[in-house]
Amino acid sequence: MKESMYKRMKDLPSAHLLGTGTPMCAGCGGLEALHEIYDVLGSRTVFVNAAGCMTLLATYPFTPFRGSWLYTAMASAPAGAQGIRDALDILLQRRSITKEEDLDVVVLTGDGAAYGMGLSATSGAIERGLDFLYICYDNEGYGNTGQQYSGATPHGARTATSRGPSGFAGFKKDLFSIWAAHKPTYVATVIGAEPLDLARKVEKAKQLDGPRLIIALAPCPTGWDYEPRHTADIGKLAVQTGIWPLKEYVDGTVTHTRMPRPRRPVAEYLKMQGRFAHLFLDQRGKHMLAEIQARIDRYWDTVEA
Amino acid sequence: MKTASRILGRAFFAEGFEVQDAPRYGAERRGAPIFAYVRAAREAINERGIITTPDLVVVADDTLPAIPAAGTLAGVDDRTVLLIISREPADTWRSRLNLSCSVVVIREDVESPVSEEMPFKGAVCAGGAAHLVGVIPRPTLAQAIERELDSMPAAMIEANLEHGLAAFDQLADHAGAVQQGVGVSADNPRPPQWVDLPLQPAGAAAPVIQAAATSVEVHTGLWRSVRPVIDDERCVGCWWVCSTFCPDGAIEVRDGRPHIDYEHCKGCMVCVAKCPPHAIDTIPEHAAQQADREDHHRDA
Ligand SMILES: Cc1ncc(C[n+]2csc(CCOP(=O)(O)OP(=O)(O)O)c2C)c(N)n1
Ligand code: SF4
Ligand SMILES: [Mg+2]
Repeated sequence: MKESMYKRMKDLPSAHLLGTGTPMCAGCGGLEALHEIYDVLGSRTVFVNAAGCMTLLATYPFTPFRGSWLYTAMASAPAGAQGIRDALDILLQRRSITKEEDLDVVVLTGDGAAYGMGLSATSGAIERGLDFLYICYDNEGYGNTGQQYSGATPHGARTATSRGPSGFAGFKKDLFSIWAAHKPTYVATVIGAEPLDLARKVEKAKQLDGPRLIIALAPCPTGWDYEPRHTADIGKLAVQTGIWPLKEYVDGTVTHTRMPRPRRPVAEYLKMQGRFAHLFLDQRGKHMLAEIQARIDRYWDTVEA
Repeated sequence: MKTASRILGRAFFAEGFEVQDAPRYGAERRGAPIFAYVRAAREAINERGIITTPDLVVVADDTLPAIPAAGTLAGVDDRTVLLIISREPADTWRSRLNLSCSVVVIREDVESPVSEEMPFKGAVCAGGAAHLVGVIPRPTLAQAIERELDSMPAAMIEANLEHGLAAFDQLADHAGAVQQGVGVSADNPRPPQWVDLPLQPAGAAAPVIQAAATSVEVHTGLWRSVRPVIDDERCVGCWWVCSTFCPDGAIEVRDGRPHIDYEHCKGCMVCVAKCPPHAIDTIPEHAAQQADREDHHRDA
């Protein structure tokens, strides 16, 4: 693999490819990650999207993309990607397009699709060795429909469908490991608030073939209940507290690309978000906070062991 | 808008009307327009759903008429009354929107506490509308506001009452301006206005976008309520910070300096939070626009 061209923040692209004027919320952390990713991926891409906030990116006659876009049902984006890849392969075979004219097929979905409804189609696509990049912007809930819980919602978060005093009772699924268990080409976690780490990973994914996944934690002012200006600060805290480990999987090995040392208390991250406000009210909340912290500590104990 | 429609609905109901009030949800996202509908009549209401020929349209946010997707003027005809909360006078809106119907403006007022502040907009819209329909007495409006906001802290209810009633009082000259429309009868429904669509080849008929990045035609800068302004003297030129973190990619880099694209900056202020030397100031949008106008006059 070539050496990364992104060594310092200064090396990040200064011209932005994604068009402005999109209907994403002011301060959307998913859009922050997407525009950073798109700058590195480039415009020779076909996006395949499943229902979610980002479906509204390309709303006729407006699109922020410079290439094509296909909208599929919520569970089916990887199947849509298979069709496009096959079509491109046929065109290549018939010499209707040259290798230079070929396009990268990119699936773009939220966590609701990636962690839940779309898992079956995703698993099948990896099994078939489909050459595609899957980008999941993970705002930890069904953002577009008012933040109901999803398979990515963290324990204790209040959502539109977890309004009880303890918030969401379940636990965030480990999509990174679910993908890694399929032995794909590449899996990585990123966040818009760490653009250099993100750029290097997207650059790497772009050079590889086969099934590749990038999960971007996407701070969401609307669903997480905070002032939009805090998007990048909350993102930084997600990494510094260790609740969102930055890592990658290549050739059967998982490498952590950032070691948060010393780790800041997770309470610093949680208290910036209204969806966790109940954890700071009473004894029950205190107990839950300690539990959440202990789970993070256990994770890093195994990593550092 | 949902709160406004519920207050108005309650007030009509208390006056013995048959009432429907319903919000309509699109994408539940900041910046997405929200609609709510109220129908009231002395007799049974047979119509359901979206109101296609409104007697009164209330616009809570005066940036919306410029946004086609908001559809604020849908179904407006000569006998409709358009009520808008704005700093601009009614005549400006009539000519800007090329309307021949009557336009009433609720203005931020130094004398009374009517304000454009978000937490009171529901009460202000309902208060104004209540006077325009002419059949809701002031005490009924007050009671409807109190009941609707019942779960809020007392101070918040008080402030809403003050704003809602002030809006009611401000429109005294327009009491009863709204005329009740004719209900639709179930016996002779109006046929839908069919549009014939000839069969065309997919290349022409399908919603295919042929150009790149057409979204720039949408001026999301209209969403902004505060404006980030870079102070060139304090800016040290580390464009890779603000221009990368800006979720919208609305900070362009020219000659190694960041430039905010105000046609598209939504005012999220992530750049203000991230700028290392704190070189980006936060200016209320209306003050910034005022200053722009003054600069423009001076230059002219
Ligand atoms: C099969 C199916 N079920 C439900 C919906 C309604 N729906 C549209 S967007 C959405 C939420 C998607 O959540 P996620 O994938 O996390 O994306 P986000 O909205 O958070 O961006 C839902 C449930 C749908 N489009 N299709
Ligand atoms: S709801 Fe959240 S994820 Fe969806 S557009 Fe808004 S900020 Fe982005
Ligand atoms: Mg989501």
